[in-house]
Amino acid sequence: MNSFAASVVDPATAVAPTARFRSLTAKQAIVTVVVVLVLSLLGSFLELFIAWNHIRGQVREQASQMLNTVDGSAAEAAYQLSSELGQQVVTGLLGYQVVDTVELRDNFGDALGKASRSREPDMFAGLARHLFGDVTTYHRSLMRSRNNGPVTEVGRLDLVLSPEAVAHSFFDLALVNGGLGLFRSLAIVGLVVGIFYAMITRPLVRLSQVVSQVDPDHPGARLITVLPGHGQDELGQLIGSLNAMLTSSQRGLDQRDRAQADLTALTHDLERRVAERTAELETASNQIHSLNLQLKADNLRMGAELDVSRRIQQMILPTELELAQIKGLDVATFMEPASEVGGDYYDILQAGGGRLRIGIGDVTGHGLESGVVMLMTQSAVRTLVTSDENDAVRLLDVLNRTIYKNVERMGSDKNLTLALLDYRPEAPMDMVDDGTGQPVTGHLRVSGQHESVIVIRQGGIIELIDTVDLGLPIGMIDDVKEFIAEVTILLHPGDTVVLYTDGITEAADSTHTLYGLERLCEVVASHWQAEAEAIKAAVVADVRRHIGSQALYDDLTLIVLKQG
Amino acid sequence: MEIVVSGEQYSVEWDAPTRTAALKGILRLNGLEEYGPIARFLSSAVPEGKMTLDVRSLEFLNSSGIAMLSKFVIEIRNRKTVDLNVVGSTAISWQGKSLANLCKLMPSLKMEII
Repeated sequence: MNSFAASVVDPATAVAPTARFRSLTAKQAIVTVVVVLVLSLLGSFLELFIAWNHIRGQVREQASQMLNTVDGSAAEAAYQLSSELGQQVVTGLLGYQVVDTVELRDNFGDALGKASRSREPDMFAGLARHLFGDVTTYHRSLMRSRNNGPVTEVGRLDLVLSPEAVAHSFFDLALVNGGLGLFRSLAIVGLVVGIFYAMITRPLVRLSQVVSQVDPDHPGARLITVLPGHGQDELGQLIGSLNAMLTSSQRGLDQRDRAQADLTALTHDLERRVAERTAELETASNQIHSLNLQLKADNLRMGAELDVSRRIQQMILPTELELAQIKGLDVATFMEPASEVGGDYYDILQAGGGRLRIGIGDVTGHGLESGVVMLMTQSAVRTLVTSDENDAVRLLDVLNRTIYKNVERMGSDKNLTLALLDYRPEAPMDMVDDGTGQPVTGHLRVSGQHESVIVIRQGGIIELIDTVDLGLPIGMIDDVKEFIAEVTILLHPGDTVVLYTDGITEAADSTHTLYGLERLCEVVASHWQAEAEAIKAAVVADVRRHIGSQALYDDLTLIVLKQG
Repeated sequence: MEIVVSGEQYSVEWDAPTRTAALKGILRLNGLEEYGPIARFLSSAVPEGKMTLDVRSLEFLNSSGIAMLSKFVIEIRNRKTVDLNVVGSTAISWQGKSLANLCKLMPSLKMEII
C-alpha cells in the first residue's frame, strides 16, 4: 500500500509501477517454470526409477523364461553331448533380439554351441550398461537324471543380454515420459501464470495505470473506478482505501489552497493597511511638523508679544520720582508681572493740592491683548482725570463705553475690574462726625468694581470695603451707568489703605492653596504701625514665602497708602 | 438629561421637564466665537416661562465665558418673557462676584447659592 501511495504522490515514478508489474509477471513466470520443472523432473525421475526397476524385473523374468524354454533341450544336448542340438538351442535363443551371446557347455567345459550377435556401437551404450549391466548375464546349470538316477549337472548355459537392447524400451519410455513431463510442466506453467496474470497481475497493472493517471495537483478530481469483478475483494478494498486517501489528500490540498488564498488576501489587506497607515502617519507627521513650526512661530510671536506687553505695562507705571513727590500720604507700590504677563493696571495721578486719583484694575487674560486693554484703560483714565472729571458715574461710564467699543473693534472679549479712588487730604465737606474721636485728615471716594479695599485702623483693626456693588467689569456690557456707585472712606492719621489685585490673594503654593484675603489682612494688620514701604515689604515677603518655588501665574500688584 | 454641547472638559446638559440647563466641568473656550454654540443653545432653549441655569458643577469659567453669560442674561432681561433662575455654589470661587454681577444685570433674576 505504501509503495502505491508513494508512486501516486511522486509523478516522476508514475510509469515505474507498470514496468515493475511486468517484471513481476516475468519473475512469477520464471519461478513457476522453475518450480514446476523441478517438480516435474522429480516426478519423471521417480517414474523412470520405478520403470527402471520394473524393466529390470521384466528382463530377469524374460531371461528366466527364455532359459526355461530351452532348459530341457539344452540339458538334453549337454547330456548327449550333442553339438548339433546344442547349436540349435543356441541359435534359437539368439532369435530373441535382446540376446547378445549364448554359450552352451557340457560339464566338461567343452562348448556344445555358441552364438553371438554383433551390434553397432550405440551412443547410449555406456548408459545402458550402467543401468542394466548387472542384469544381462545369466547362467543356468543344466540338470538331468542320468539313467533314471539322481539328477546331476550335465552342463551349463551362459546367456548374455544386450544392455542396449534391454535399455531400448527404457529409453523409449524415458523419452516419452520426459516429453510428456515437459509438456505437462509447460502447460501447468502457462496455466498458472495465465490465471495469476488474469486474476492478480493484470488488475494490478491496470490499477497502476489508473493510479498513474491521477493528477498529483488534483488527486481528488477523478477517483479510481473499481475494476470489474473486484468490488468486494482485496483490490476493491485497496481502491477504496486509495480513493479515501485521494479524497483526503484533495481535501488537504483544498484546505491548503484556501489557507493560501486567505493568507494572500490577508497579506494584501495587511499591505494595504500598512500603506494606508503609513500614509496616515506621514500625513500626521506632516501635520505635526507644520504644527510644530506653527507652535514655534506662535511661541516666538507670543514671546515677543509678552515682551511687548511687559514693556507696555512697565513703561506706563507711575515713576518713582512721581511717587516721591506725593505729600501728605505715605505711598508704596509693588508690581511683579507673571511670566505670562497679565493685565494688571494701577496708576497714581496727582491732581493738585495733594489730591490723588488712584486707579487699580485687572484685565482678564494674559498677553498682548490684555496689555493693550490695560494701556487703553490707563490712557482713558488719565484723559478723563486730566479733563477734571470728578463725577464717578460719568467717568466710569465714558471709560466703559470707550473700552467696550474698542474691545469690540478688536474682536476681543477682554474686560477688566477697575476701582477708581479719589483721595483728598482733608475731611469731606459734608462730613458728619464719624464718632471715632480721631481727627479726619483725609478721605477716599471709591467707585468701580474690583477686589475689596482693606482699611487698617489704629490698633490693626481691619475694615473691608466690598466693591462688588460699586460697578461692573469695564468693557463687558455697553452701559454700566446704572451699576456704578461710590463709597467714601474717612481716614485718620495712621490709617492704612491696601489695594491689590487677585494675583496676591490667588497666589498658589505647591499644594494649590491660595494665599487668600484673610492672610493678607493678618499680615497688614500685624504691621499696622509700620510705614507703607515696610507693610508692602512684609506682604511681598509673605506672599513669596507662600508661593515658594512655584511659578507666578498672575501679576502681583500691591498699593499701600498710609495717612500721615 | 440630554447632553446638548460637550467638549473635552465640559458639557452642557438640558433637562426638558424641569427646563434646566446645566453647565458642567471646566470652560476655557477661546473667545465669544467658540462660546457661540453654548450661547445659541441657551438663548433658544426657552422662549418664555421659567428657566433654570445650573452652574453648581461648573468648576471654572474664564472671562469669555463670564462675558457670554452676561450677554445671555442681558438678552433675557431685554426679552422680558423668561423667568430666569440661576443656581450656583459657594464652594466655587469664580462664582461669587460673577454671579453677583449677573444679578445686577438682571434684577428680576433669582439667584440661589447653595
